[in-house]
Amino acid sequence: MERRDPREILRGLLGPAAPEVGCDTCFAELDRFVELELAGKDAEAALPGLRAHLDGCPACREEHESLLALAAETS
Amino acid sequence: MSTVTLRAVEPDVAATRRQPSLDDESRAWLGDLRAEGRARDEAIARLHTLLLRAARFEIARRRVTMPHLRGDELEDIAAEAADDAVVSVLRRLDDFRGLSRFSTWAYKFALLEAAVKLRKRAWQGREIPLEDETWNRFASARPGPDDQAETSALLDAVREGIANGLTAHQRRVLLALAVDGVPIDVLADRLGSTRGALYKTLHDARRKLRAYLAERGVALGQWLEES
Repeated sequence: MERRDPREILRGLLGPAAPEVGCDTCFAELDRFVELELAGKDAEAALPGLRAHLDGCPACREEHESLLALAAETS
Repeated sequence: MSTVTLRAVEPDVAATRRQPSLDDESRAWLGDLRAEGRARDEAIARLHTLLLRAARFEIARRRVTMPHLRGDELEDIAAEAADDAVVSVLRRLDDFRGLSRFSTWAYKFALLEAAVKLRKRAWQGREIPLEDETWNRFASARPGPDDQAETSALLDAVREGIANGLTAHQRRVLLALAVDGVPIDVLADRLGSTRGALYKTLHDARRKLRAYLAERGVALGQWLEES
């Protein structure tokens, strides 16, 4: 087995402690979340549970990072 | 005990009632895409150009992780992602609420399509490791010399929780996603499921594991709860 940081594995196994939304809600709200972030507003307060989901879901996290970068570049 | 609840986002009633006034660009997009004839055709062509740009953006970000793919193969993936994203955007046009710019809303469809296609391409021809193999490697893996005793004890407790506290399906999904690093879209494809359904399984497994540890008084380090 490739040597991985045990803490990284444990994070993946146990996931976020905070309540979180699912992948479908994350996708539905991602554009709004990103624009609130870019505007310097409290995106987590407006959309509770979305940040925790990004912590727990690598695929949604990657897509969030990409949308944030693309929206920043084109705004 | 902290509980993890997969829940819907609390509706932002104020924002919903406040029906935001669309910015000029978003209004123009909606008007053109809902028009008929040539105006609509031209708008769809512009939308395709916009989404192709987003798909190429995603591919450029991930290209370094896929050195075996040629430029023309990547361009095919971008074109296919843009095509599929245009269909998705047109089908879901009524879902756009004006809570972001239209372009940001539309981009996410192209980014999703491109990301999913790249993940699937990366795993094309690769077998998902069998659960027994993964489990045997994980169960016998020993922490390195630098790992603290607390982490070692937690690993042991988690192994026990996975073995005794989860259903076979939860164990399979958890190990594939969290230990083998199989992308969730790839696993969903192989199991005939969806990302949302698999994440629900993953979430339930994690919640049961946390409950198992809490019942046994296993402390979770602060590092684990920090993003």
